[in-house]
Amino acid sequence: MQQNALAQRQQCDREDADLLRRILRADQRALTTLYDRYAPVFFPFGLRMTGSHEVAEEVVHDLFLHVWEKGNSYAPQNGSVYAWLTALCRMKALEKMRTTNQKKKGNNGEGSQPRGAPESEEKQVGQETVLTLKGYTEEVRNSLKSLSKLELRLLELSYYEGQSQSDLARMLRIPLGTIKAKMRRGIQKLRQTPAQEGKRP
Amino acid sequence: MKTEERHAQLELCIPYVFGRLNPGNRKQFEAHLQTGCEQCKRELAELYEATALLPLLLKQEAPPSGLRQRLLSRLSSKRSEPPRGTKPTPQRDVVETPAAQKPSHSWYLYASVVMGTLIIIGLLFFLNDQLRTTGELEKKLNDLQAQVQQQQDILGILQAQRVEMLQLASVEAGSEAFGRIFWEPEKRHAVLQIVNLPAQPIDKQYQLWLMKDKKYLRAGEFDVNKEKSNVFAVMTLPVGERQEIEGFAVSLEPRGGSTEPSGVIQLRGATK
Repeated sequence: MQQNALAQRQQCDREDADLLRRILRADQRALTTLYDRYAPVFFPFGLRMTGSHEVAEEVVHDLFLHVWEKGNSYAPQNGSVYAWLTALCRMKALEKMRTTNQKKKGNNGEGSQPRGAPESEEKQVGQETVLTLKGYTEEVRNSLKSLSKLELRLLELSYYEGQSQSDLARMLRIPLGTIKAKMRRGIQKLRQTPAQEGKRP
Repeated sequence: MKTEERHAQLELCIPYVFGRLNPGNRKQFEAHLQTGCEQCKRELAELYEATALLPLLLKQEAPPSGLRQRLLSRLSSKRSEPPRGTKPTPQRDVVETPAAQKPSHSWYLYASVVMGTLIIIGLLFFLNDQLRTTGELEKKLNDLQAQVQQQQDILGILQAQRVEMLQLASVEAGSEAFGRIFWEPEKRHAVLQIVNLPAQPIDKQYQLWLMKDKKYLRAGEFDVNKEKSNVFAVMTLPVGERQEIEGFAVSLEPRGGSTEPSGVIQLRGATK
C-alpha cells in the first residue's frame, strides 16, 4: 500500500513535470489536464482560506493563469510541481484576503479575519478524494492519523488562517512553548509520511 | 558560517513557509538564501512538500464548470491579442444548437458533436485567414476556439471506454423539456444535454445537482439563452461511480449557483 502510494505520487510528479513542460510550449490541453487534476484540490483550499466561493474561483483562475503565463518560474530543485502549485495557491489566496480586508477597512473602518473552518471540517477528512490522487491521498490521511487533533488544528490555523504562534497561544490559552513544540512535532509527522521520505535524496 | 548561525537560519525556515516572518527577518532570510545555503534550501523544499499535504485533507470539490471555460477563453484571448489590448471574453459554458426533435439514440449526440466540430474547425480556418485583424472578429474567433475545446471535451467523454448515461425527465406534467447526462466514472467528466428548457431570466442560472446519500451536491451551472434550444454543457461531477449516485436533478438558481437547491426542481432522473 505504502509502496503503491509512493509509486503513484512519483508517477504523478513525473506527469506534472511533463505537463508543465508542455504548458511552456503553449499546449492548452496540458493545462486543462493539470486543471482537471488539481482544481478540485485547490478550489476547496481557496474556499477554506477565503471563505467565499466567488473568491475561491478567482484564486483558482489566477493560479492556472499564472501557470500558463509564468510557468517558467517553477524551479524543480525547490520541490515538486504540486508543492509549487500549493505554495502559489496559498499566496494568491492571501493576496485576495489582503485586498478584501483593505476594501472592508475602507468601507467599515475595520478589517476582517479569514473565515474559520466550517464546523463540519473535521468530518470532511476521509470523504471524497480526487480520483487521480486517490491512493496517495488515502495514504496521506492514514499517515496523518498519528497527528493529534491539537497538532492538526494548530497546523491548519497557522497554514490556512495565517495565525502566528503567539496568537494561537493567546487564543487557545496554551503556553507558547507548548504551541511551538506541538507545531514542530506536527510538521515532523507531515515530513515522515512515506511518500515524503521517498522524495528525500 | 558558524554552526549556531546556521542553526538560527534553519529555525527561520518554518515561519518563512508559514509566512510569519516580519519584513526585516524575511528580507534577511531571503538574503541568506541568495548566498546559496544548500541546507536551508533543502529544508525549505521539504517543508513546502510537507505543508502541501494539508490541502489533501480537505474535502475535494470541483469548481463550477464555467470556470474551466472562462480560463480557456482567457488563454485564447491572451494568445491571439497583443498584451495591451486584452479584452474580457464572454463565458462560454454551453454550446447551443437550433431546437431539436427529441432524439432517441446516443449516436445522434455523437454525430452532432462530430459534425459540429468539423463545421467549427472549417469556420475557424476561414475566419483566421479572412478576418483576423478586427477586435470583434478576434473575439468571435476566441468564442469559436472555446467551443471547439468544448466539443473536443465532449468527444473525449463519449469516446471513453466506460460511459454511464441517465435520462432526466421533466417534473412538470405536459412539459416538453428533458435531458440526459453522459459521464465517465473514472474522470468524473460529464456531458449534460438539455432540450426545451425555457431560457432563464438574466439573474438566474440553471444548476445541475448530483444526489448522494439523500443530499444534493452541486455539479455545475449552465445557461439556456434561447427558447426551445438543445444545450450541451461539460461538467465535472463530485463523484463518478454509478453506485454512489442516487440521481441527478436540475433547478433554477440565482446566477453563480447555490449550495443547495432553492428553486423548483425542473428535471430529475434516478439511477435506482
